[in-house]
Amino acid sequence: MERRKFIQSMFAVSAVAVVSTPSMVMAEDAKKASKKGPNDMPFDEAVKVITGGKEVKESDKIKLKAPEIAENGAVVPIKVEVDYPMTEKEYVKEIHILNTANGNARCADVMLTPANEVGYFSTRVKLSKTQDIVALVGLSDGTFIKASASIKVTIGGCG
Amino acid sequence: MADARKSMIKIKPKKYKVGDTVKVDFIVIHPMDTGMKKDKKTGKVKPAHYIDSITFSFDGKPFTTMKIWESISTNPYFSVKYKVTGKGKITVDYTDNQGEKNSKSKKVKPKG
Repeated sequence: MERRKFIQSMFAVSAVAVVSTPSMVMAEDAKKASKKGPNDMPFDEAVKVITGGKEVKESDKIKLKAPEIAENGAVVPIKVEVDYPMTEKEYVKEIHILNTANGNARCADVMLTPANEVGYFSTRVKLSKTQDIVALVGLSDGTFIKASASIKVTIGGCG
Repeated sequence: MADARKSMIKIKPKKYKVGDTVKVDFIVIHPMDTGMKKDKKTGKVKPAHYIDSITFSFDGKPFTTMKIWESISTNPYFSVKYKVTGKGKITVDYTDNQGEKNSKSKKVKPKG
């Protein structure tokens, strides 16, 4: 009798082990799938996240300076200047630099204050291939304007 | 890992008065790894390592804050403008996605 019970219990333990292993493997797979970074999104989605679905107008108030041809995609200088007053009441609130073809669309979000005096920002970005750079500017009254420039990249700088 | 990185703040032009608008440049030596590049020696993918937030402040009052992602170049350079209001200190605090925190400051000495 005792021997029979012992064998039965052995079967039960092994059955539990068999059931549990596949579910653990599944959990690991799910972890890998959700490993995407917080910035891993295409251009249109990134614009929606920033503006909250608001309309974005093209404007010539933004001066976006970028090279027409970038020989090295790893270092592309970008300069943005906004022709807009910087007073306590109305000022340039934010400048976003976006790219259209890298995996991560957002490059930089800059929050300005009236203490800056001029809506100006300059940096250097990495570009994987020939694409457009977009400067999305948020004003203090809640509206958004944008300007874009296309850049030809000879050698990509993303890996 | 927590040792201070090489960084630099430049105020342009060098001579300025109260009320002038100056350019504040900030450069830091940082790899800005995207998490997609392979290490040539080991053949393993380098984990993402990039600066994700920067704050420019004058005497403790922040005037510009930035959120940065992988698409910014290695050894990043940032430049903003600022109106000089008097004597003080410009401080730049920056953190990266691996939790490294650093700061750099420079005195503001207007003449005349």
